[in-house]
Amino acid sequence: MKRKSGGKDFCGFALPGLFCFAAVVIVPFIYGIYLTLTDWNGVSTEKNFIGGANFLSVLKDSQFWSSLLLTFKYVVVVVVVVNILAFAIAYLLTRGFKGQNFFRAGFFTPNLIGGLVLGYIWQFVFSRVFVGIGEATGWELFGASWLSDPTLAFVALVIVSVWQLSGYMILIYVAGFMGLNKDVMEAASIDGATGWTKLRHIILPLMMSSITICLFLTLSRAFMVYDVNLSLTAGAPYGTTEMAAMHVYEKAFTSRQFGVGQAEALILFVIVAIISGIQVYLTKKREVDA
Amino acid sequence: MNNTTIGGNKRKLANALAMIGMIIIFIAYMFPFIMVVINSLKEKRDIITDPFSWLFTIKGLSFDNFVKAFTQMDFLNAFKNSLIVTVSATVLVTLLSAMLAYYIVRRNNIISKIAFALMVASMIIPFQAIMIPLVSIYGGTLNVLNHRITLIFMHTGFSMAMSVFMFHGFIKGNIPIALEEAAYIDGCTHRQTFFKIVFPLLKPIIATMVILNSLAFWNDYLLPSLVLTDKELLTLPLSTYSFYGTYSADYGTIMAGLLLCVIPILILYVILQKQIIGGVVSGAVK
Amino acid sequence: MKKHAPTRFLALGLSAALLAGLLSGCRFGFASDPDDPNEVEEVEPIDTSVDTFEYDQSLSGTSITLLNSKAEIQTALVEMGEVFEEKSGVHVEVMPVTDGDSPYTKVVSLYNSGNPPTLSILDTTDVIALAEEKAADLSDQPWIQEAEGYTTQINGKVYSFPLCIEGRGIIYHKEVIEETLGETFDPSTIRTQDDFVALLDRLVAAGMEHPVSLAMEDWSLGAHHLQYIYETYDGTSDGAAECINRIKDGQLDLTTYDRMSQFLDMFDILKKYNVAYRDPLGADYDEMVIDLADGKTAFWFNGNWAWPNLAEADAEEDDEYGFLPYFLNNDPDDFVNQQIQASPSKQIMLDGIVATEKEQAAAKEFLNWIVFSEIGQQMLVKTCKIIPPFQNNPYEPSDPLSRDIYSRVHEGTAFNASAIVPNDHWSVLGAALQKYLADRSDRAELIDSIVAYWDEQQ
Repeated sequence: MKRKSGGKDFCGFALPGLFCFAAVVIVPFIYGIYLTLTDWNGVSTEKNFIGGANFLSVLKDSQFWSSLLLTFKYVVVVVVVVNILAFAIAYLLTRGFKGQNFFRAGFFTPNLIGGLVLGYIWQFVFSRVFVGIGEATGWELFGASWLSDPTLAFVALVIVSVWQLSGYMILIYVAGFMGLNKDVMEAASIDGATGWTKLRHIILPLMMSSITICLFLTLSRAFMVYDVNLSLTAGAPYGTTEMAAMHVYEKAFTSRQFGVGQAEALILFVIVAIISGIQVYLTKKREVDA
Repeated sequence: MNNTTIGGNKRKLANALAMIGMIIIFIAYMFPFIMVVINSLKEKRDIITDPFSWLFTIKGLSFDNFVKAFTQMDFLNAFKNSLIVTVSATVLVTLLSAMLAYYIVRRNNIISKIAFALMVASMIIPFQAIMIPLVSIYGGTLNVLNHRITLIFMHTGFSMAMSVFMFHGFIKGNIPIALEEAAYIDGCTHRQTFFKIVFPLLKPIIATMVILNSLAFWNDYLLPSLVLTDKELLTLPLSTYSFYGTYSADYGTIMAGLLLCVIPILILYVILQKQIIGGVVSGAVK
Repeated sequence: MKKHAPTRFLALGLSAALLAGLLSGCRFGFASDPDDPNEVEEVEPIDTSVDTFEYDQSLSGTSITLLNSKAEIQTALVEMGEVFEEKSGVHVEVMPVTDGDSPYTKVVSLYNSGNPPTLSILDTTDVIALAEEKAADLSDQPWIQEAEGYTTQINGKVYSFPLCIEGRGIIYHKEVIEETLGETFDPSTIRTQDDFVALLDRLVAAGMEHPVSLAMEDWSLGAHHLQYIYETYDGTSDGAAECINRIKDGQLDLTTYDRMSQFLDMFDILKKYNVAYRDPLGADYDEMVIDLADGKTAFWFNGNWAWPNLAEADAEEDDEYGFLPYFLNNDPDDFVNQQIQASPSKQIMLDGIVATEKEQAAAKEFLNWIVFSEIGQQMLVKTCKIIPPFQNNPYEPSDPLSRDIYSRVHEGTAFNASAIVPNDHWSVLGAALQKYLADRSDRAELIDSIVAYWDEQQ
């Protein structure tokens, strides 16, 4: 854009979108921050200012911190696996082989199943199909439902999340690969770049913007994991798979400590903001302008 | 390419292995969906005792679940509501976010920087944290709940950040500024340049965002459930409520309902795939 | 272009299959098929010829909303609302709460949106949390006399309408027991924990290796099992409240409290004979239903709300199912070994903040109509399939589980005690009991977590 008429450009291009965004996200969020400083319980007509008392209660809520620790573990595994898998699949899906569109449609299907059905189908896989395999083969790993063992239930959560999130990320990586400049790729091939060299020195740098986006999305979604957590394990067995977002929700509505739940949500937000801020900064630096 | 060398054979082998690996992963990805399709045609009892059984061996194979889902959901009305909300919100958010992202990329001023940072940060706000404030503001203070327009507006606002983020990355990485400079030299205004030059080049990412956003709007449950209470306005996911019991759910009908809900998205996906492919920027600048 | 063929084929094929299904279904599906096991909902006819209820004509045209958190009666309530509208001119809009949302969350968000329901069906704890702030006082309503012993008072006032009585215990399937043992089975002969174990052992000897289904869900463990320790304190709601207060104060030591150890004894028995003994936390609710109906097991710990699930699994209304008490010891004279727990569960609260006077009056008329009109009485029992907590309701429930509770309530072999516990009791302590069920903790650790939970509630 040229430098002149900056105000007009702002109004024409940026303002409508910014307005929607601010009205729906920023304003309620600020109001939400205010609520953490009051003793409001979600229903009463009175709101008394109580300062940081809710935040003090968060410090004492050991369940919250252990759920956060578990969430960290989960996020690391999920982010790494999802991105490697989705990148590889998207790469294979954009090489122009016969029938790749059929495959793409198949990899899209995880996006179509949500809610209770998701939980039901996967519960069935872990507690019935796996146990069936266990009975047939005698493998101890499949002897009992994965969902009744704390460690395996965690693994199950990771598997379902990887399945679901990578279905989404494949779409973005595919778009990224399709946007790659064919000339550059051909030039690289002519120059004799193959395999790993081509991947490392040509494809990865050019895909950096997609990678930034996907890393960020998986990072934030993994931190906020709620639906899968609720529908697959609901914290079972005995509360060992309760992630941070689910704990926040339970705190605010099941335990009826609205202010504390809201404060925990805020703390979770700050933590994720810092981590993903660092990630975006680091990966953005490696992006190349076209 | 020349594959007669030994290296080429190796490559062929690698390709074949990659292909086999992908087929296995593919089946694993498809498996839950196939399960839904198969079980949507069975009775609840068969779903629970024998969810794996193939269709032909089941006595109770029937389309009853679909009929039940169709009538109980008031499918046509809910479909209409979902369609209005999804289409409007998708068009709105695609347009507004593309423009906003374009502004942010090409105008690297302080407003852009702050707006972008805020948007990125906002994507990690847990929805639960703004749920209650949101309804108190829009319901208690402004009293505009229970209107489709409110829902469309909220969908647009909530998906703005992510869409801007995606467009931002794409424009920065894939849209050469030289094209726009050429347009300015030819006397185009900013608006013309954007809509005639830049927007068409965004095709792959637009197609992707249309799929992702419409998928999110079409399937969303939580936000519509907060905004809409009037029966006439209910969207598809809201209308499946009656299949869920307190202790157990009507799985056959739920799966049939799910399939009825996702067919439009599946069709949209197949159509847009071509756009993603057709929209490759290759060779735009020589 | 040929490249796209497989995808298109996939999409087309799927859509075509589904559409074909719809079309063929539309043509043939609506006719009622007597052999179709899918059709469990046989509608009992409602006699509307007699109606002596006096409607207030001035309320005609008013519209009220009813938030329903009892998903299984959603369609029945809609039907009931329609009949009421026909008679009174008052429109009742039934709003559902879906799985995933808790009723409390939904009510809170509706209050915040300035658009709360006129009437809300809630759990008792929710009513207690909201009543004094939001609800209208119902203490002067005529139906209170008919619901003696089943109303919930908060500081001397009644804020809620008891919708139904629900009871729980060890569900038995009589036919299965008789077939397995080859003799008639009379549930009244089982009077102590030892009797029950002896029966289980005989079933095992006769080939039914694990006769008990034991749900692992935290609501079942945390609310339905564990709350026996409060409710059997003396068999009344007041006693349960006293028990909880004494635990909180530290006066009642759970390590020596007899009901605590008795409860665990019984729980251990159920655990031992659990059909899912290999992997108790892998037990599947829907499978338990089918196991009991098919006779793979003979007992299932649950309540009369499980009937619709059993009916879906092809159990018939004339099959003989019933309840055994949750035996706590070997004293045949202890009430816990004779009676099963049954108390009002869902409550209807009337909004007193936003609803206009006319809306409140219309809502009150609706509640009285349920209790006093011939049609309301019938619909509560026959359409909603609910056990009514009102003495004047002459209709009896039709399914065997509700029938058993109903007759026990009338014979006096049910005790009406419900413990009022904080809302997260079932989830927090349900998790603790899950751990115990999976043998990952012992009695001492379980008791510690119960004590710790109550310490936090100070």
